[in-house]
Amino acid sequence: MVLRLTLALLLCLSVTPLFAAVSASEDKELSSLAEDPLWLALLHFNRGATIHSRGETYVDDDNFFLAEAGTSDPLAELQASVRAMEPDRSPVRCRFPARYQFIAERLGWPVESGLDHCGDLQEWLDQIPDKRVVLVFPASYLNSPSSMFGHTLIRLDDAENPDSVWHSWAVNFGAAVGPEDNSILYVYRGLAGGYPGRFVIVPYVTKIQEYSHLENRDIWEYTLDLSPAQIRRIILHLWELRDINFDYYFFDENCSFRLLELIDVVEPGMTLVDGFRLAEPPVNTVRALYKRGLVRERVYRPSKAAQLDAERKAMNAEQQDMVRRLIRDPGISASEDFAGYSEAERHRMALLAYQVLRFRHRNKDRDPEVAARSLALLKVVNANTGQGAAEVPAPVPPEAGHGTQMLSFGGGQLESDDFGEIGYRFTYHDLIDNDTGFLQGAQIEGIDLRLRSTESDDLKLEAADIVHIRSLSPRNRLIKPISWFVHGGLERALAGDRKRLVRFVQGGPGLTWQAGNVMPYGFITARLENNSDYSAFLEPGGGAQAGLLWYLPWAQVNAGGEGYYFANDEYRHRQFFRINVPTGRQSALRAEWQRDAWRGDNEQGFSLAWRQFFN
Amino acid sequence: MKKALVAAVLLGSSVSASAVAPGGPGCGWGNLVFEGKSGLPVHLLATIVNGTSYNKTFGMTTGTNGCDTSGALTYGGQSLLAMNGVLEEVAMDMAAGEGEALTALSVSMGVSAEDRDHFNSVMHDNFAAIFSSEEVTAGDVMQSITAVMQSDEKLAKYI
Repeated sequence: MVLRLTLALLLCLSVTPLFAAVSASEDKELSSLAEDPLWLALLHFNRGATIHSRGETYVDDDNFFLAEAGTSDPLAELQASVRAMEPDRSPVRCRFPARYQFIAERLGWPVESGLDHCGDLQEWLDQIPDKRVVLVFPASYLNSPSSMFGHTLIRLDDAENPDSVWHSWAVNFGAAVGPEDNSILYVYRGLAGGYPGRFVIVPYVTKIQEYSHLENRDIWEYTLDLSPAQIRRIILHLWELRDINFDYYFFDENCSFRLLELIDVVEPGMTLVDGFRLAEPPVNTVRALYKRGLVRERVYRPSKAAQLDAERKAMNAEQQDMVRRLIRDPGISASEDFAGYSEAERHRMALLAYQVLRFRHRNKDRDPEVAARSLALLKVVNANTGQGAAEVPAPVPPEAGHGTQMLSFGGGQLESDDFGEIGYRFTYHDLIDNDTGFLQGAQIEGIDLRLRSTESDDLKLEAADIVHIRSLSPRNRLIKPISWFVHGGLERALAGDRKRLVRFVQGGPGLTWQAGNVMPYGFITARLENNSDYSAFLEPGGGAQAGLLWYLPWAQVNAGGEGYYFANDEYRHRQFFRINVPTGRQSALRAEWQRDAWRGDNEQGFSLAWRQFFN
Repeated sequence: MKKALVAAVLLGSSVSASAVAPGGPGCGWGNLVFEGKSGLPVHLLATIVNGTSYNKTFGMTTGTNGCDTSGALTYGGQSLLAMNGVLEEVAMDMAAGEGEALTALSVSMGVSAEDRDHFNSVMHDNFAAIFSSEEVTAGDVMQSITAVMQSDEKLAKYI
């Protein structure tokens, strides 16, 4: 204790001479200002929200600090800023206008006129849209598991109701990636924090193209309830962040966390970034803003795929068939069949045919023959006037969905043995979790643990999924996507005379269809298993899975079977029935029946569990 | 003032400039109508870190990715029509006579709200001339649009 005090004293003594230029009374005032939440927000200090660099700044860039100790000492940075910004027409004011505004407001300096001499800044302020701030949330989409978490960015509009948001500006935080990296390294460095993160401003239209048109992601837009002064503060701060590097970690210091930090600068003490946040999923950004009463309006922007689907469903089977024929050969438009429809119907069918054709080919290299068909279809659209796209009904917004983490408590019986089971899942959603606010047929599970204790045995690890992702995209007359899954982890499997914990990875492609609220599916699978009973270190196997999903208004059901056969002539197969009954947004009751069989024997059991979601 | 600037930004500072090569040669943005895209797997991986290539960082002021950066604020030199996927959206809206892409185009041309319906119907009527073949480029389309607007009584004032 004494030692620590002495040490602290010594440190103080050694630091004091640096501050000699600042007078004693001013020093006192600055000391309290340096602890102002707004000042800490402007310097992006970690006030305990994440593990990395607590009590230090998240900014990983010397250009952002005036004082040498600025990265860990907000007072030193404040003193250096005051000193540098005090002279009239100081160029440092132009580099850090939000900081200047903070200091000027607190110390009674001229606030607005103090930045008049900053030509570049003023020119930029004149151009940047500043009438409205909108949080943009591109929701998950089926064929990219990483997008299941979503992404968030901010949009700046130049009017309360802009004529065209294509002209708005998007503020995006992402990893700054060098062109020299290959994709494996890219993913690794992205996850491990090997890339700097930066704020980037791009036209919003590029984001619409990217998410809505290219990736099939619905976009949710939340207009924020901010005053002009608050918007100005964000914009001034954005200027400070130009070309500034942050740490970027996929799991905690990601896009959503950084955006909350950015919005944090609007009001001192608002602290959106409060409490401990690990793996902040973007949907929680939306929830945090709602909680603060900052959301004024919500707009749904359907993805291209959702739009096509709505238009297809508005047509009867014959019309859909005609669309299919048109796609194959636009020349059909000269036929009597086509002429038999009304002009409005012809317009709609040709329009849908064009969109489906573009949709199918947008990820492929340009094909002159497809280009020619595209233009031919547009000529048919042009020649037949009619009404445009069908309105796409907005689904339940993502923030209404269940939380990301889950604890489960349950019990059951395996043959004649009773067992109790507790489970924890880090993230996020499986096929039969409450689908409110989620895509049907999409699953992404990361770190899903189950511990089981039986009458005859102690608590033991029953299963640990590291990752289990499924993408069941239904096929229809016009769009024919491939479903797929990948699953890896540990599970207890029968091998030889007893159950062993085996390590496995499996996956494969499949097909899914949809009839009303029932989705039948089938997969072919490949499996690699590391099993201490098998002679090979990795035993390869192959098999199949099939089943159906049934989305009832009050429950979600999954029934089916799966089996695989190993190269060493072992085999296993399983039939199951699972039903999940939500009892609220954050909880559900789940019942399962399962029968497992292997060469020579089989067993069956059932379980009932309470699932509680949080975060 | 702001409107005009936005128009200049999104369409390139002049028509002749965008007619040469929207976004500049080697800019990396496709600009042929009904284009295709490649490299999807890498793109999917990119979603994980929401990556952005760093030469686009604040592209509005730096713009070092080979794009035309004339003009104070050029979004790295991309013109609206030269952006990935935009041209085929504009083509569709023009054929149909309405849509978000067509509105965006008219806004960037500075067409006022009361003339927008007229703009839409003129574009609709001249669709075949503007998209004369599937080989037209963003530059060709821009030139045709300009020509059509110039010969229209109400729209000539916006050129």
